[in-house]
Amino acid sequence: MPVLFAIDPRSGVPIYLQLTDQLKRAVAVGALAPGERLPTVKALAMQLTLNPNTIAKVYRDLEREGVIETAPGRGSFVTGNGTVDKARVVASEVAQRAVREAVREARALGVPRDELRKLVETEIARWFPEDDT
Amino acid sequence: MIAIEGLTKRYRARTVLDGVTLDVPAGSICGLLGRNGAGKTTTFRCALRLARPDAGEVRFGGEPLRTATFERLGYVPDRPSLYAWLTVQQHLHLAARAYRTYDAARARELLATFRLDPAAQARALSRGQETALSLVLAFAIRPSLLLLDEPTGGLDPLLQRATLELIIDAASGGASVLFSSHAIGQLERAADRVAVLRDGRIVLSGDIEALRASEKIVEATFDDGAFRSDTPALAGVRRWEHAGAALRAYTERDPDAVAAELARAGARSVRVLDRNLEDLFMDAIADETAR
Repeated sequence: MPVLFAIDPRSGVPIYLQLTDQLKRAVAVGALAPGERLPTVKALAMQLTLNPNTIAKVYRDLEREGVIETAPGRGSFVTGNGTVDKARVVASEVAQRAVREAVREARALGVPRDELRKLVETEIARWFPEDDT
Repeated sequence: MIAIEGLTKRYRARTVLDGVTLDVPAGSICGLLGRNGAGKTTTFRCALRLARPDAGEVRFGGEPLRTATFERLGYVPDRPSLYAWLTVQQHLHLAARAYRTYDAARARELLATFRLDPAAQARALSRGQETALSLVLAFAIRPSLLLLDEPTGGLDPLLQRATLELIIDAASGGASVLFSSHAIGQLERAADRVAVLRDGRIVLSGDIEALRASEKIVEATFDDGAFRSDTPALAGVRRWEHAGAALRAYTERDPDAVAAELARAGARSVRVLDRNLEDLFMDAIADETAR
């Protein structure tokens, strides 16, 4: 699999969540294409030196969410049908988590609501300049 | 499956293992953590009857230790037990004769992985190479039970990685792995369970994710004088520390709820901190009286 994963065990975020998010992100941006085969649990566990039960849990969760599907004896694949929609949903989930973290951190720092709203607007204007009218 | 129950060992008046109990199911990797002298090596030695325990029971795949158990058990001792005047190849010959499960092709693969010269005498091996030879001997029988006492000691980073891959490969195939290490970060990646020893007693054990999830830290900052120790947020908090303007509450409750209560109680800023294995370890081995 050409996708690179960066797992940091010292970060407070559980390892299986880190990997789940990164796999979702790879699907959302198309780095993992619809129909693409994922490595086996054992191969990915060895590649990332992660516990095989952790990888199996990630695959089970992604399967339940419809991001990947497993064909007995053939392996796990990125879901083919309706993947464009799925990728959009997944992208928005991953983005939401990032926004939630940022808002939580701003609140922890004591940034007032109005100021935070302005900060967000500034960032949106920076990254979506074409929408400015 | 490795099941250790109530393992106890005394040397004269000193109790070095005190009712050690832990389970490693098939397909699971359990990290054994503890400071030097906490009893890790004694646990391995008593489990394998290399030292005689005063009490306790150890079962491998549901059965007590028997000669036949060694056909599927790989052990890497903390100090490699090798024959100084024999070569690497002669050690493999001995293993080939001792174990019906010895796999010569696998052994050759492992020798190449660990870059060991078959003609080298054991006494000429470096510390890392001794560990490597112990690993080759342990894995050459394709074991389903692995007891590894600091199996990455003296190994360079590439060979440490190769060792972790061997362990993960074995667990993927259903092996039970108990492995001690001081490399908490490595262990946190590779293991799904952990047991922490302090002064011969297990002070923390279980599924790593569950342990990490079971307790969070909520950190709040208060303006001078604004903090009141009777804030409702602190009910149900296991313990809290108050250093200057910062309050750190250790809680098993929903951390966001505690955070919200602290914010209502006038905290200037609040954040929830996740805990990693190193935090849990440090907390578990901390001297009770120092708290």
